[in-house]
Order: sequence, then C-alpha cells, then structure tokens
Amino acid sequence: MTLRLKPVLVAVLLCAPLATAATPTVELAIEGHRFVPDLLLVPAETKVKLLIHNRDAGAEEFESFELNREKVILGNTKTVIFIGPLAPGDYGFFGEFNPSTAQGLVRAVAAGKSQP
Amino acid sequence: MILLNSIVVVLKETIEAGILVSVMLSISQCYRIPGRWWKWGALLGLAGAVLYAWRLPQLTEWFNYAGQEVVNCALQLSIFGCVLLLIARLVQNQTRGLPLLLALAMGLAMVREGAEILVFYIGVTQQGEPLASAVTSGFVGVTIGASVGALVYYSLTLQRSAYAARAALLLLALIASGMVLQASQLLIQIDWLPVAAPLWNSNALLLEQSPLGQLAYAVFGYEATPSPIEVIFHFAALTLCVIAAAAANRRAKRTIHRRPAP
Repeated sequence: MTLRLKPVLVAVLLCAPLATAATPTVELAIEGHRFVPDLLLVPAETKVKLLIHNRDAGAEEFESFELNREKVILGNTKTVIFIGPLAPGDYGFFGEFNPSTAQGLVRAVAAGKSQP
Repeated sequence: MILLNSIVVVLKETIEAGILVSVMLSISQCYRIPGRWWKWGALLGLAGAVLYAWRLPQLTEWFNYAGQEVVNCALQLSIFGCVLLLIARLVQNQTRGLPLLLALAMGLAMVREGAEILVFYIGVTQQGEPLASAVTSGFVGVTIGASVGALVYYSLTLQRSAYAARAALLLLALIASGMVLQASQLLIQIDWLPVAAPLWNSNALLLEQSPLGQLAYAVFGYEATPSPIEVIFHFAALTLCVIAAAAANRRAKRTIHRRPAP
C-alpha cells in the first residue's frame, strides 16, 4: 500500500509548486495598525496568494468573515493566506487586535473591468 | 481603545475553549467520572499555550508559511479524536481512561486560544501600551466568557441526569464536528484543500459577525457561507460520531447478553 502510494505522493508534491507558481500574488502590509493599501483589487474567479507583511512591532490577527479567513501575524514578520476564487464584489477584512483602525476591503474585479 | 480590544480578544478566545470545557465538566458530573482531570487539563493547556506562543515565529514559517494552519488543524483533529473515543467509552459505560481523554481534550482546546491571548498581550507590551489596564480589561473578558461557560454547565447539570447526559454528549459531538469544519477551513486557507463557491449564504438568517453568530461559531463552527468541502467535513465528522456511538451501544448490549445469569 505504501509502495503504491509513493509515486502518487511524489507526483502531487512535484505538481504543488507548479500550481502555486500560476497563482497571482497580491501584497498587503500592516503599518501603524492599518492595512496598506486598505483596498486590494484582485481578479474575480481566480485564486490569489495574499502575502502580508506586518511592519508593526506588535502582532495582528487578519480576520475576515466574508472570506472565511483568520491568521495571527507576529510583529515584523510576513505570512501567506490564499483567498478566492471570488465572485465579483467586495469582501471586508479587519485586524482583530486593532479593529478600530485596521480595516480593509478586497475587491474582486471581473476581467476587463475596474469595478465589480 | 486597547482596553476594549483586550475585552473582545480575551472574551472570544475564552468562549471558544470555555464552552467545550463546560460541556466536558457537565459530562464528568453526569457520568460521575472520578478525579480532578480538569486540573491536569488546565496545566496541559497553559503549558501548551506558552510553548505555542514561544515557538510561533518558527512554527509560522513551516511548510512555506503554512505552519500555523497545519498545527492548528492537527490540534482540532486531535480534539475530535479524543471526543470520538469519549463518546464510544461513555455510551459503552466504560470509565477507564476517561479522565485522561477529558484532560487531553481540554488541554488541546486551551492551547491555541491561550496562545492567541498571550501573543496579543506580548504585542501590547511591544507597542508600549499600559499592560496593567489591558490585563484588567482581559479579566473582564475572562469573567464574561466564564459566565457563558457556567450557564452552559448549569443548564446541562440541573436537568434530569439521563436527559442531561445525552444532551451533553450531543453537544460535545456538535462542538467537535464544528472543529473539524474549522480544520478544513484552515487547510483551504493554505491551499491544501480545493475551494469552490459557497453552497449557501445564511447571513440573512444569522449574521456570522453578530454576537449570536459568533456564539454559534464557537459552539457548532457556524459558517454563513460554507464551501462544499467544509460541509462534507462537517457531516463526515457528525456521521463518525453517530457511528462511534452506535458501535459502542451494540458492543455494550452484546456484553450484557453474554454475561452469565446470576
């Protein structure tokens, strides 16, 4: 059983970087308890890799009910979250540790449009 | 503002772990499980939370920045495994090993939530915010969270014992299945599981970010817009709980039939 699964596992592991390479990356930063930029334009119906840099000293928790995402990002570190494929529209997110200032919006835009 | 944030962060984390712990405490009361297992559970949870928070910088970078999700997913699935064994043993009326399972489930449930509280407070000190007032506000959050837990505990234990025991077991199965749903969500977040359009949107019925929606998330892993994979994982977990209970029930009946007449 282990021997039969081995080629499949190797194939999956080899294909994983190829799949990731095709995924567009969008960068986001946390500075002074705010998301920069606070409006992220992403292509609709496409999986997107969100690379988040926390440039503050303290930790922040990226959270979004609309995107179903939640992740702690320590101070002066970066992390990765995958979002989508999303239908055209707006999806809010916020920093749970500083919700009064850390607010942002992901705008999924259909190909060839600037608005959803 | 940091004071309000402290209350919200601590309350949210306390409720998530607190409801599971109160249900397990009520099960312990209903089934008369001996020992102070909860002390060992709390100790394990605190030690685990400190270790998790301390190693979080390294752990986050594992698997190309997917380490946090992988560890959290492993914690959630381990709790589910403990709950499955608990259900099987309780239905079979076997008390051997139950204190260990309860302590383990409680400890594992406290690890992630406790670590998030620690990380929040470490951040507060790093930003030069007054720690004493933030801790005091956090205490308010713990108190409200503990009150919710106490309400769950007394609602279950003040009922007739047979009914309460079944209700507590059902609630335990629902909470653990919700954790499996959350585990699948974590794997989607790191692209280890495929994602598809949500099956439905129940925000009009119960808004996920409302206090009640957050309580439902803590208890059942409520998601207003679940993807098909999440729904499959949730129902598979519930089905496993039912199968574990049914198999244990059959074994218990077989044991009674085999017992020689006095």
